[in-house]
Amino acid sequence: MAPLHHSLADTGHAAARWLAGWWRIVHLGALLLALALSPSSYAAEGRRSLMRHIYLSTAPALPWFSVLTTLISLILIRIVLVTALSYGLSQYALEMVVRVLVLELIPLTAALFAALRCSFPHAADIAVLRAQGGWDAWSRGGADALRVEVLPRVAAGVFCALMLAAVSCVVAFVVAYLSVYGLAASGFVAYTHTVGHVFNPAVSLIFSLKIVFFGIAVALIPIASVLDREPTLGARMSAELRGLLRMFLIIVIIEAASLVGNYY
Amino acid sequence: MNEEEIPAPASPIPHLEFKAALLLALFLVLVVGTALYLMYARGTFETTQRLVLVAEDSEGVRVGMDLTFSGFAIGRVRRIELAPDGNARILVDVPQQDAHWLRESSVFTLVRSLVGGASLKAYSGVLTDPPLADGAERKVLVGDTSAELPRLVAAARELIQNLTQMSASDSALAGSLGNLQSLTERLKGPRGAAGVLLGSDADAQKLGVTLERVNTLLARLDGIAVKADAQVLGPNGVVPESRATIVQLNAMLGDARATLKKVDSVLAEAQAVAANARVATTDLNALRSEVDTTVRKVEQLVDEVNRKWPFARETELKLR
Repeated sequence: MAPLHHSLADTGHAAARWLAGWWRIVHLGALLLALALSPSSYAAEGRRSLMRHIYLSTAPALPWFSVLTTLISLILIRIVLVTALSYGLSQYALEMVVRVLVLELIPLTAALFAALRCSFPHAADIAVLRAQGGWDAWSRGGADALRVEVLPRVAAGVFCALMLAAVSCVVAFVVAYLSVYGLAASGFVAYTHTVGHVFNPAVSLIFSLKIVFFGIAVALIPIASVLDREPTLGARMSAELRGLLRMFLIIVIIEAASLVGNYY
Repeated sequence: MNEEEIPAPASPIPHLEFKAALLLALFLVLVVGTALYLMYARGTFETTQRLVLVAEDSEGVRVGMDLTFSGFAIGRVRRIELAPDGNARILVDVPQQDAHWLRESSVFTLVRSLVGGASLKAYSGVLTDPPLADGAERKVLVGDTSAELPRLVAAARELIQNLTQMSASDSALAGSLGNLQSLTERLKGPRGAAGVLLGSDADAQKLGVTLERVNTLLARLDGIAVKADAQVLGPNGVVPESRATIVQLNAMLGDARATLKKVDSVLAEAQAVAANARVATTDLNALRSEVDTTVRKVEQLVDEVNRKWPFARETELKLR
């Protein structure tokens, strides 16, 4: 019976630590939100740091992410249109393009891209700075570090995810129109009608919330993982990898929730 | 931690605040522009009028679906509710700029198709009718493809059953086909169709013999016909002699006609004699009446003479 007891106890401890890890992420998010809402965070130094991170995170990635999105959108839209045409269902093609591409794929792609391009480098920076300074995010001394180093990076990550999502959605809208109607303006009314048909209030709300939650998840979770106080939590894997797994888990949950909200 | 992992000190970026502000402005423009476009697409900025369609069953109708006219969307379903009388009320918003397509005489249909959702359609036959008023309530005609399916399936099942019965090995059709096959085999046989028609080979053989005899008979009949031809139409045949006889008959008829004309004249004379006799009879009547009158006068004269004559005798008888 003793090994069973030990096994159960180990499982319980692991579950408790796992939940504690999630709680620390939520806690850090709340701290950062409080700091973000505090005017003192936007003093001259903090504002400059925020501006710098926002610019450096988003601007260099924007042009070639736009190009990449255009190409991917073009290919996917072409596939959908040709397939719909071959089945004689071309009247549903545009709606399907808007639903699949704009509502589902583009926000996910933008969030993952923002995570890889922005959040994980920021998390690595934070890990290095923390090792250098020896500060703890939850200590009294760590508050300043949170305000000066962490908040601008998380905000920049959120902004990057939102910006990329907004750009890619607009690009997808334009490419979809051009793919179906070409350069003629005559299809604008019908296209607008179809878009309006898809984006009813519920879908629009879910879409907006999904993009915002994606942005928060990809910006916060990698950094929160490297700031974890208990480095022994996942001794078998690094903090970055742990953050990646948590981020993927949250993204999948958000995506599933949005699908449930949209289609059930 | 080694030295390479330490972040490099921040290098100054020229016009950082302006660039960051530009980025934020771009983001705001994208978000606000998209939001405005979606609101425009949803018809937020359009003035609409309400149309209420009443259907017995709102199955297939969903909020947001289009009301089309000639294939163009002119309205959108905003709400579906259940009326107190149990009917479904479909509330449709029609933009003012498209409302002129709907007239008092417009007809509305709800069509449920097999592929795709249901569709609401409007038909305006007379576009000069008065326009449909705001809040107008109309019955919607329902055309249901799926409702036809059970009937179609039942009919198809019946058809398949019939076909199965027809194509079964013990069916009448199979028997007929078997008979047809044996018939065609017999048709291909030595006696052919005659064997099929007569049933047995012996009868078919008799038919052959009969046919040969008929042929012989026909040959003989042919000879007879030639002879008859000669007798009838030949130089001394019946026909030329008949023709001569007819000529003679014609002459005789001419004579008879002349004789009859003479008889006619005799009759005319006799008619004249009879007329004269009739006139004479009339004169005789007058003469007789005159004679009667004269006799009567003579009698009266004799009576007078007797009376006046002295030798008159007593002619009167008296009773004593």
